[in-house]
Amino acid sequence: MATFTRKNAWNNDGTFANTDLLWYARAVGEMQSRSLNDETSWWFFAAIHGQSLTKTRPQTFNWQEVPAPPNVPTTPLPTQAVMDKYWDQCQHASWFFPPWHRGSLYAIENILREIVKSLNGPADWALPYWNYFGGGNQDKMPPAFAQRTMPDKDGNEIPNPLFVTARFGPNRDGNVFVPIGRNLNQECQQRRDYTGLQPRFYGGGATPFNHMGGGLTGALEYNPHNGVHVFVGGQTPRGIGGLMSKSSTAALDPIFYLHHCNIDRMWAAWNSAGNANPSDANWLSGPTATGDRKFYMPKPDKTAWQFTPEMVNDLTRLDYTYDDLILIPEFASREAMRLRKFGLSIPESKSITAMASDETPELVGANRNAISVDATGARTTVKLDSGGWYTVTKSLLEATNIDAASSAPALPDEVYLELEGIKGNEDSIVCSVSVNQHYAGHLYLFGLSDASDTDGQHGGGGLTIRFDITDIVDELHLTNAADLNSLEVLIQPVNIIAEGNELTIDRVSVYRQGSNTNV
Amino acid sequence: MRPSRKTRTSINVIIVGISILAWVLLLFNPGNIMTVEHCHVSDAGPSAASLQMLLDMNPVSSQLLGWGLMVVAMMLPKLTIPIKYIYASSLKRNRFPSSLLFTFGYMAVWMAIGVVMIAVISGLHLLMPGSYIPAVVTVIIAIIWQFSPVKQRCLNRGHDHWRLAAFGWPAHRDALFFGVMHGVWCVGSGWAIMLFPMLLPAGHNLAMILVTFIMLSEHLEHPRIPRWRIDFRAKLFRIVIAQTQIKLKRIQS
Repeated sequence: MATFTRKNAWNNDGTFANTDLLWYARAVGEMQSRSLNDETSWWFFAAIHGQSLTKTRPQTFNWQEVPAPPNVPTTPLPTQAVMDKYWDQCQHASWFFPPWHRGSLYAIENILREIVKSLNGPADWALPYWNYFGGGNQDKMPPAFAQRTMPDKDGNEIPNPLFVTARFGPNRDGNVFVPIGRNLNQECQQRRDYTGLQPRFYGGGATPFNHMGGGLTGALEYNPHNGVHVFVGGQTPRGIGGLMSKSSTAALDPIFYLHHCNIDRMWAAWNSAGNANPSDANWLSGPTATGDRKFYMPKPDKTAWQFTPEMVNDLTRLDYTYDDLILIPEFASREAMRLRKFGLSIPESKSITAMASDETPELVGANRNAISVDATGARTTVKLDSGGWYTVTKSLLEATNIDAASSAPALPDEVYLELEGIKGNEDSIVCSVSVNQHYAGHLYLFGLSDASDTDGQHGGGGLTIRFDITDIVDELHLTNAADLNSLEVLIQPVNIIAEGNELTIDRVSVYRQGSNTNV
Repeated sequence: MRPSRKTRTSINVIIVGISILAWVLLLFNPGNIMTVEHCHVSDAGPSAASLQMLLDMNPVSSQLLGWGLMVVAMMLPKLTIPIKYIYASSLKRNRFPSSLLFTFGYMAVWMAIGVVMIAVISGLHLLMPGSYIPAVVTVIIAIIWQFSPVKQRCLNRGHDHWRLAAFGWPAHRDALFFGVMHGVWCVGSGWAIMLFPMLLPAGHNLAMILVTFIMLSEHLEHPRIPRWRIDFRAKLFRIVIAQTQIKLKRIQS
């Protein structure tokens, strides 16, 4: 039995009647009163996730420009050695995304709990989570975060440390909610592989220490994590992102930790449903296995806690749990649904799942030149290679001849659209992407500016985002429209791309990958 | 996209295999093919005659061959990362030719700079035959360069991601230019340290092994903000230690 239980922030209607939120606010207030160079301050922890105080590349929204509240200090900076040890540590587009954030939550929760206890609060206080998928009005931010003031212990109204000016929401009007739909949901929980070669993995691709950039983002990280970040942070009417929209300011907003608690809860629920974390020593040992930085977090006594994914890959090791670890109801597997589309049925007694293919994904088409995405969007033509595309269409034709009784029917190829080398300086931009007028997905660019920094960890390579367009290609095939020389890709902004904040995309390409199954 | 584990292993084996072969040729020098380490000079000191003698004993073509062999031995393993990227980003039929063109572009830059390097080395051998002074001075320059922001900038640019066209001659052109630019930044970061072994009157091979380790290691480091900093960029050393610990732990359990 775990000592600490993280509970739903929407208990008691998400107001300060929920004592988890009340004590969170009081402890956050105490952390915010500490100086930037204090390892247990709110600001220091925000910088552990990411910061823009020491960057060379100009960003659209620096710590110096954050409108109060919160009153973000920019001095005194810690020593260079301390900054090198702790700051800019968060792991994104990596298989370290879930464990690093779990360690980060655990560390700040310990500090907050010590403060809660020192203020005569409950000794078993734990971070609450914001389950925007919880139904009812839980897609809305808990009201305690929208109040400018809160009661102190004597009942007097004091400034609410949970209130943030630069939190604009999806409609840029301060109404903060998560627009759940086909672009933002918990479908990631249906994935089975934590990592692997296919871009459909849950946790992320195998990487070394990866602060920002690259293209190995896991399903949990991309949708819902990245989507919630940019919709909660939102934009100003001039297209400048809120705190949550940008990786270098996100952890300044107290809602950040409730969002990440929910992501952590989803990972724990995924595990509790029998899905396994990697057993690879390079994951268990963390980035030190590949000669990179260690994961460090400050403890309440300001000494360093060095952790590895192995130390946090099971909640029991950290002595906490969640009051809700129920996975969303399981639908028929994606593979079975796909076979049904082709008119094949799988006996109900059997289940069918994809096996990880160890075949290098094959490029079958690409556009000609780099493109720029401005306020009007962008359109590009992906020319298809006749040989490569023939392999795809051949696999589709053969799908109709699959013997459903076969122990391991071969599914048609999976097809992916890759937007490679997306660069820009405004993380809050969201675009929708369609292929031949079929919706492919939303483009969330959380981490864009850091990934575009030529002196950043990825040398300015930008973000690479992949969409699984297998269903679109299936649809084209079933309507006899897959005999193509090219695909038309349309990228349309769903919020503001201000002048000077245009995106560039190095290449838009299409890949195929063979698919094996298990029945 | 990234290549499969099998493909990644194949690329590693082929490239490291070629590098090892080059090392064997360098270290054992069969048939005395390596003339670049010769530093004879006539007793008359620097003169047209002694230069002629030097060139007779060490023809430029042989020196360039030796230089090329050295670059292949020392630098080829560094190319496994961009070649994996090219392999994954190219049409199936272009994977090998584009990888080859990239390597050719990269080597071309090192060979071009090799002409200058050989001229410098020959000149210094002529002026100070058998002296350690040129090597010592080069080490001092290399150390200053090593910790400079310019070097860091070159290392950062070595991580540039190159847009590769997929079709036709632009695909080959991009692979070639990618190799050329990769070579330019590699030369920019490593010219001084690469010169050092060539100027040593003795211990040339040992110095080459040390320099190889340093150069591979520093290219494995992530880009950083360019500024003066004392940084030995020992990532390869850290990887070896960490992987050894992991394997020992596995054996013990």
